[in-house]
Amino acid sequence: MAFIDIKGLSFTYPESEKKAIDDVSFSIERGSFTALMGATGSGKSTLLRLLKPELRQNGTVLGEILFDGADITTLSGRQSAERIGYVAQNPDEQFVTDKVWHELAFTLESLGAPRDRIARRIAEICAFFDIDSLYQRSTSTLSGGQKQIINLASVMTADPELLILDEPTAQLDPIAASRFIEAVCRLNRETGLTVLISEHRAEEILPRCDSVVILEKGHTAFVGSPRELARGLEPDSPYTAYLPTAARIFIAAGGSGEPPLTIREGQRYISELDLTEKAIHEEITPNKSEPALELKNVYFRYDKQGFDILSDLSLTVYRGEVFALLGSNGAGKSTAACVGAGLLKPYSGKVQVFGKKLKEFRNGALYKECLSLLPQDVESVFIHETVGEELKGCEEALGLLPYDLTPLFDRHPYDISGGERQLVALCKALSTKPRLLILDEPSKGLDVNSKRLLTDVILSLKSQGVTVLIISHDVEFAALCADRCALFSQGRIAACDTTADFMSDNRFYTTAASRITRFKLSGAYTDEKAVRLIKPGGGAT
Amino acid sequence: MKRFSDLNPIATAVYYMCVLGITMFSMQPLMLCISLVTSILTCVYDRSVKVKGHIFTAVLFLIAAVINPLFVHNGVTVLFYLNDNPFTLEALVYGIVAAGMIAAALYWLRSMSAALSSDKIMYIFGRFSPKIALIISMSLRYIGLFKERFRKIQNTQRALGLYDDGNLIDALRGRARVLSILITWTLENGIVTAESMEARGYMSGRRTSYAPYRIHMADISFIALSLALTAIAIIGLRNTQTVFYPDMRFELFTPWGIAGAAAFALLCLLPIIINIKEAVKWRLLISKA
Repeated sequence: MAFIDIKGLSFTYPESEKKAIDDVSFSIERGSFTALMGATGSGKSTLLRLLKPELRQNGTVLGEILFDGADITTLSGRQSAERIGYVAQNPDEQFVTDKVWHELAFTLESLGAPRDRIARRIAEICAFFDIDSLYQRSTSTLSGGQKQIINLASVMTADPELLILDEPTAQLDPIAASRFIEAVCRLNRETGLTVLISEHRAEEILPRCDSVVILEKGHTAFVGSPRELARGLEPDSPYTAYLPTAARIFIAAGGSGEPPLTIREGQRYISELDLTEKAIHEEITPNKSEPALELKNVYFRYDKQGFDILSDLSLTVYRGEVFALLGSNGAGKSTAACVGAGLLKPYSGKVQVFGKKLKEFRNGALYKECLSLLPQDVESVFIHETVGEELKGCEEALGLLPYDLTPLFDRHPYDISGGERQLVALCKALSTKPRLLILDEPSKGLDVNSKRLLTDVILSLKSQGVTVLIISHDVEFAALCADRCALFSQGRIAACDTTADFMSDNRFYTTAASRITRFKLSGAYTDEKAVRLIKPGGGAT
Repeated sequence: MKRFSDLNPIATAVYYMCVLGITMFSMQPLMLCISLVTSILTCVYDRSVKVKGHIFTAVLFLIAAVINPLFVHNGVTVLFYLNDNPFTLEALVYGIVAAGMIAAALYWLRSMSAALSSDKIMYIFGRFSPKIALIISMSLRYIGLFKERFRKIQNTQRALGLYDDGNLIDALRGRARVLSILITWTLENGIVTAESMEARGYMSGRRTSYAPYRIHMADISFIALSLALTAIAIIGLRNTQTVFYPDMRFELFTPWGIAGAAAFALLCLLPIIINIKEAVKWRLLISKA
């Protein structure tokens, strides 16, 4: 008998006609690694919560979940806390205490474990996750990736048998995300922990998991191994979005045989194709018109005693272009954005917006019809109870979006999906009719479809003459919408090029498509471009 | 023995209770003189008070010393008359002693807050009630979180052109809006914290309280030594006489009085002595290696 058996499970929220989960059945073996995929609103979180009795939401449940042979609802709060670990999306909000060591101790303290056992488990966990150096730190001083690792470690101190993760890497940069997923894989591989994870990052998850469950509108659309999934998909299937780039290119190019899942397998597939070396030569004339934003030899630090966050940073964003500033989390990209937007003052260097020094903008003139900055935490934008009130006075901005927000007008800004929230916030940022729009991590936490939508919005803004500066760690996203990209490192720009050159010249910090194709093709830095080279006249995904 | 800051927090807390207790309840010139001098030495030694802090305390000392004779006209030795009110020597001396007490207590409190970090205070409370410990820890976390979010929201609202601080009314209105967003944000997301607590077994039974501190022999002997010295100091205090009004009568140097003062001086110097001893031991160890 399977470790977890879900039989004919349905769930309906109170005062809702539609079933959020509709007749779902699948089972999970002990020690397996299962990925749960699906678009936002497909019922992933609802399903995961049904597997953790304390977190079940009010509603009608039909069918049953057997956990180790017994109905899961018969577990006591204590048993559930001990046997089922749960890690959610937001790294910050899951913290309860102010110190890392206290956070690590929290689970066992709650379970009333004696001190000796707590000390021993914490020591073990610190060694396993290599977080000894964080032990004494305040939780607020950690980076997002570190926070999420601490959340995971804290849950693991109770030594659970099943680990449930609800989009744990949605708020992390790609490097931190793959480090986190690697930690989860190690737990699975080295301790035989059963893992159930919902995730948007197909690139890292799919090659590593044993089985995939795809949910669509509450139904299971697919249950099986990742290879079975890749084998069975047609090029026009919407589920190709849940595959890694290698498999997507393979399917779109009409490859035959076993579909590749990893970068390495993808490279092998390309090398076995009967292709002469090809390249895409796009005639890009960099639009070096007047600069919209110019930073010259800018130095910035937060404390007199601190170190330079920005050190000799020079950067020019030209009028009418989409510029992506890339780099890892905590490198100082957001600080650069704040300096550019006049929210922080550099101690040395020059900042000019549309040829005028920041000092020359008086009484907030800078933020009226000139520049607008949308921060990472869009929660800090919302003031009102409903989306409708929030967007009052933004009618013109609404017209700019190729997406209708009116159906959301009665909802609370916190109750809509991450992608929709990003669009509402963007609308507010556009209400002052900025000529320069700075977006800080706009693709953070968005699923594939929302990202595509956001790309369209940015491109349509560009066509209307708005200059856009994107601060991001998401290379794939930048590849789709930026004209030029820059790599931020050590407080300055390490490389700055047109997107095509940037992606082709970079070896590590570049898109999966570029890494897969780099030995045979050049300039194929998106799926679409790669497919176009492999299969002339072939369709795009 | 370990460095003073490495002692178990309970030992540290007991120590400061003893020193502060004698400082605040004795009102005896000799003891307060010892307390003031040693408290300054301690704060200078561990650098817990900056130049600004010293200036502040000195000004406070002067004001406190002068205020008493200005308002209290008891005492037989009139120095001069101010607006027809007598300014007496007794009242001045009392004022100086009281000011010394305030200054010494301030220095000791500063030294204590440097020695007892939030972790340590929480550990002490956690011994009595794990719940109180958790509440303190959660509050400390929220203070940091609020500060950071307040700054973020302010920046956002400013960059979106929604925040004017051209005049006072607009600035206040802007602040109010930032606060309102902060509260919504925190309340809406507070549910995640609550769920995270529940998912990790909160309220599933009796809590324990973990802290990375243990009680060693050194802590127990330190507490015993502190209490013994305090006892001698109290006996000493009881065997001296301090009368300010109407005329001053001090009998400070009785045999017990001297013993008590010596014990108190030793008590006050314990942190410095322990740290110097450790430093010397460390030097010797290094030179041998």
